[in-house]
Amino acid sequence: MILDPDLPLIDRILAGEQNVFAELINRHKQYAYTIAVKILQNRPEAEEAAQDAFIKAYQNLAGFNRQARFSTWLYRIVFNTSISYKRKNNKVFQSIENTVIVYNHEGEVSLEKTDKTRYLNQAMMKLNEADRTALTLFYLDEFSLDEIADITGMQANTVKVRIHRARQRLADELKILLNHEALTL
Amino acid sequence: MNRLSQAQEDILLEYLDGTLAAPAKIKLEEELRVNALLRLRLDELRAVHTIFQHASLAEPSRDFTARVMQKLDTAPSPTPSRWPIRNAIFLLIGVLTAIGAAALLIASGVFDGSTSISLNDSSLPQKIIQQEIPVFTFSGKLIINIIIMLNIVVGWILLDRAILRPYFQRRMQA
Repeated sequence: MILDPDLPLIDRILAGEQNVFAELINRHKQYAYTIAVKILQNRPEAEEAAQDAFIKAYQNLAGFNRQARFSTWLYRIVFNTSISYKRKNNKVFQSIENTVIVYNHEGEVSLEKTDKTRYLNQAMMKLNEADRTALTLFYLDEFSLDEIADITGMQANTVKVRIHRARQRLADELKILLNHEALTL
Repeated sequence: MNRLSQAQEDILLEYLDGTLAAPAKIKLEEELRVNALLRLRLDELRAVHTIFQHASLAEPSRDFTARVMQKLDTAPSPTPSRWPIRNAIFLLIGVLTAIGAAALLIASGVFDGSTSISLNDSSLPQKIIQQEIPVFTFSGKLIINIIIMLNIVVGWILLDRAILRPYFQRRMQA
């Protein structure tokens, strides 16, 4: 049995206190938004997806079975909603992604050469949504591997392996990007 | 050797995460002193690790909460559905009633006799039935007892799902 600090708030919402939901939103909006941003790579779209996920959570609150933490259940909704947004707008995103790649290639000079974070974000684009989300949640240090598995719909062992592989891949990408940058100096 | 094995990479990542067991950690640190390739890879993985460790949460717009709350006004209210629990309680009462009725009937001796099915008594032509068909005999009491046992199992499951689990969940949260 999990002692979840969100449960008393959920009981009050279910009893008819709709305004209490604002407190739940304030508690979880940053994580929800971060997950959406990692998946969609587009802030306005992520904001919309995160808001949509909160509304879905509200509408299905009575169905939350309390076997897991509320946050895990909510972030799974955010994850699935963001994936749906991504699929729904796939054509649009495809063209945006292409534009981003062209822009990075042509605009290398304008990039800050020593900004590893920027390179890492660039490398992150090469990972899939589930790996990006798993990696982000892992480093935000809030969730166990089991909870990350719940959110992303993977097995816990698979999550661990994929986080390891993603970090290796990022290290490789970062090395390539930095070597390339050093050569163009 | 130009590349480390997957096992070595995993050990390096666990070392960075601080989840490597003490003996393995000592062994790795000894290896790191003599293996330049291993040291180089550790530095590469550490670069990613360090960037992520300093990563912060993305900040949504200031009116995020207000906008969700505004949209909620048009969304249907999440009234808890009592039907599944109520149905389960009705079903539990039905199961208990069936168990009680069956037990009463057994106690009054309704199922004491045994029933036999013999196809030899049927009026099938001799051409079709060449051999003696075995006679099936079964005890009504045994069958009713099995049904009662199954009902008791179903009753326990319903009791757990419909009453005990919700009750203890509420007590834990109180």
